[in-house]
Amino acid sequence: MENNNEGRRDGVWAQPYSLASGQTQHHQLGHIRLWVTLLDQEWQIRSEALELDTDPASWTETIGHTLPSASVPLRRFIRENQSSTVTFLPALANLPTVIRPFQPLTIPPGGRCTIYVGTLVWMKVCAGDRQAVLTEIPLAAPSLTWVGRNTMEGELCYASPSFARLVLEAVPKRPWRAVTPVTLINRREEPLLLERFSLPTPLLSLHQNERGQLWTPGVTVEVETDMNSASLHVEQSLFAAAGACRHVADAREKMARGRLVRAFDRMFG
Amino acid sequence: MLETIETGVMKVFTDIAWGQWISSAFLVVLGLFLGSLAARSVGRFMAQRTSRHHTVMVRRLVFYVIVVLFFVAALREAGFSLDVVLGAAGILTVAIGFASQTSASNMISGLFLLVEKPFEIGDFIEVDATLGEVVGIDMLSVKLRTPDNLYVRIPNETLIKTRVVNRSRFPIRRLDLTVGIAYAEDVERVESLLLDLAEKNPVCLEEPKPFTLVTAFGPSSVDLQFSYWVPKDKVLEGRSGMMVAIKKTLDREGIEIPFPHTSVYAGSHSEPFRVQLLGPEQITEKDLPDVDKDS
Repeated sequence: MENNNEGRRDGVWAQPYSLASGQTQHHQLGHIRLWVTLLDQEWQIRSEALELDTDPASWTETIGHTLPSASVPLRRFIRENQSSTVTFLPALANLPTVIRPFQPLTIPPGGRCTIYVGTLVWMKVCAGDRQAVLTEIPLAAPSLTWVGRNTMEGELCYASPSFARLVLEAVPKRPWRAVTPVTLINRREEPLLLERFSLPTPLLSLHQNERGQLWTPGVTVEVETDMNSASLHVEQSLFAAAGACRHVADAREKMARGRLVRAFDRMFG
Repeated sequence: MLETIETGVMKVFTDIAWGQWISSAFLVVLGLFLGSLAARSVGRFMAQRTSRHHTVMVRRLVFYVIVVLFFVAALREAGFSLDVVLGAAGILTVAIGFASQTSASNMISGLFLLVEKPFEIGDFIEVDATLGEVVGIDMLSVKLRTPDNLYVRIPNETLIKTRVVNRSRFPIRRLDLTVGIAYAEDVERVESLLLDLAEKNPVCLEEPKPFTLVTAFGPSSVDLQFSYWVPKDKVLEGRSGMMVAIKKTLDREGIEIPFPHTSVYAGSHSEPFRVQLLGPEQITEKDLPDVDKDS
């Protein structure tokens, strides 16, 4: 996995990196660049959003002594009990994410299909052995949207336009996006037109497979009578295609009964 | 003579049942103390569970109920019969009602405001020309804190009578910007540039969809309305950030945002204007200030 090329290595989630005082670790991942510096008394974190037209597929990390220009905003954190390790944990959005296929997809009556959707990952910078969270950075600019019956009732969600790929091989492997397999079951008499649906990202945990990809447990959506009465179910086990995985991050919210019912109402926007 | 006055005064003092008065005063003080204690603990209990508005309302209700109960008990202790007090209060109400019409109407308006609930504590409202965050809803007035940090007191009666705009009732808001472009520019291209900007701006919501309208052929520009939605707490940055982005993009694309100008046209039927170019010496002659000419 590691290719030593001028000290450049691939970054890994949930692996403690050890820094010496005065050293800076530079990351390039997704649409951001990040510098983590350890000093005698403090941690310094600088991050910069890049405006890219393409989606980079790699995460490179170098440890050195170079700092970016002073125009990059800096945040400082007090260093606790001389800890010198820094860990990067992935986390999914704290709001539900609306998946909107670029082209609408129709599921025939009685049919079922599995689509693979990628959602944006936030990076939690954690310091020390206790992994105290210093800050949280989205790995690309998240865009917001509104899901609800009208402009008075509803909730704010993140938006994620998706190709709604049906073949696993076609899903791009990016370390800064998590793949969720969504199984859609149409139990109605009429075809189901999938324009958009809300994925409860705060309820999903994150797992990493051997190739370094992030996966979430699968989600099953069953539509029985009406679009609005779809029932959503988060599976306990991981999708078989993900391969052997290790658990890297818990879901942000525990699954609560009331929360899930609300998610049903606004399933299909 | 002096002695009789003295004994008279003494008699007045000894006749007063001091014990009763002291115990009733004690009851009032106890009521105030217990009321504020209960209100505070109820407030603490509710603060984590409900909105600030409900907490303040229930806190106040608890305080007043306890204080009134103890006050009534204190009156009885002092020897007043409740019937007589209430009867006297009836007569008093008429007298006071005439004297303090404004306060009474404000109080009743306050009750209606509580029932109707057009805004809550913490909402951002607009009354007449005053904009501000509601910091208190009281018996006689509503207190606002304006964005430039002034404390504004608005009588409840005014709120009942005038138009009140609550800016934070709904979670999202639409912003409408007017963009004027020169007549020579391609309107459709500008429209697609604006929609691209809305897509790129992180504050802009994807849905409800942003849109553009051509609203008028103005005197010096084609006027476009550019509308997009933002979360209610991102209104300021949504507006100003977008305006800066529009100016930058239009400048980069070489699209003119015209300032008001007027073309003078003599018309085909009238004689052309006679235009004469002046030499430098004539210009200096013309530019001489009037004062110098007069002298």
